[in-house]
Amino acid sequence: MSPPVPLVHGRASKYLDRNFNRQAMKILPGEFYATAEDEVIVTVLGSCVAACVMDPIAMVGGMNHFMLPVKQGERDPDVFFAARYGAAAMEYLINNLLHLGAQRDRLVAKAFGGGKVMRGMSTDVGGQNVDFVREFLRNEGIPLWSEDMGGPYPRKVYFFPHTGQVLVKRMESTHNDTVLNRELTYIQEVVGRPMNGDVELFT
Amino acid sequence: MGRLILTVDDSSTMRQMITFTLKGAGFDVLEAGDGVEALGVAAGKKLDLIITDVNMPRMDGITLVQRLRALPEFKFTPILVLTTESDASMKQKGKEAGATGWIVKPFSPEKLLDVVNKVL
Repeated sequence: MSPPVPLVHGRASKYLDRNFNRQAMKILPGEFYATAEDEVIVTVLGSCVAACVMDPIAMVGGMNHFMLPVKQGERDPDVFFAARYGAAAMEYLINNLLHLGAQRDRLVAKAFGGGKVMRGMSTDVGGQNVDFVREFLRNEGIPLWSEDMGGPYPRKVYFFPHTGQVLVKRMESTHNDTVLNRELTYIQEVVGRPMNGDVELFT
Repeated sequence: MGRLILTVDDSSTMRQMITFTLKGAGFDVLEAGDGVEALGVAAGKKLDLIITDVNMPRMDGITLVQRLRALPEFKFTPILVLTTESDASMKQKGKEAGATGWIVKPFSPEKLLDVVNKVL
């Protein structure tokens, strides 16, 4: 069975972060991670966005990392349909938080990324991602507690789900090829893949 | 009058997308945010199809399917589950509850309409 979206939970890799003296989970474009443990979730963002969503009372939180698969020069309705990916990325994260004991009406979010870092792209991919995440949260009634989005820099984000604290490092170079290449590979994967989950009829 | 579809999802973004897709194809659409609301909306209506999410507050989609199947007027109404859940055991629960089909998100508008037209 093929995964419905490149939101791979298991590919993310865990390591011991000596600075924070905690287990750290590093997530890549298309991945998400939700936890009830006192860990740190780390990601590096270019034009992708990451939503850190948490229930501060249940002390569970998680992060996703995604971008809308919008091809250059596409019109509005296509942007609307591309938002299905973003909506699914948010829903996967939220459902996992609910499974871990979060309550939907207690969820709050912080959002990061969406930089204008891709050279040679006429479309502001980052800006579209920023608009989407803001609108999604507003739509769903999930308060956006803080954000650091847009601008010309890639970011490294550390999220501590137990406290809700986030550390953001704005990275100097806008020519960080590793980040850009990863995002480009990811976006090609997403755009090239049919936007279909599995369908099964029981009758 | 067009065919009437009830779409049930706790995410208003997701409801908007489903409604947009269905209305664009000429269907009439009703919305509900969870299973409890769905039962209220469905009461006394002649629905041609119900599309429901699984993970929702108050009443989940599997329970909703069971409750609808227990009502004479919805015993044979097609019910599609549209969810991020792709687990085989969860699908089995949906099937046992009486769902007609299972669609894993994200959906493509074409595929959704294709399945909808198949079960109607």
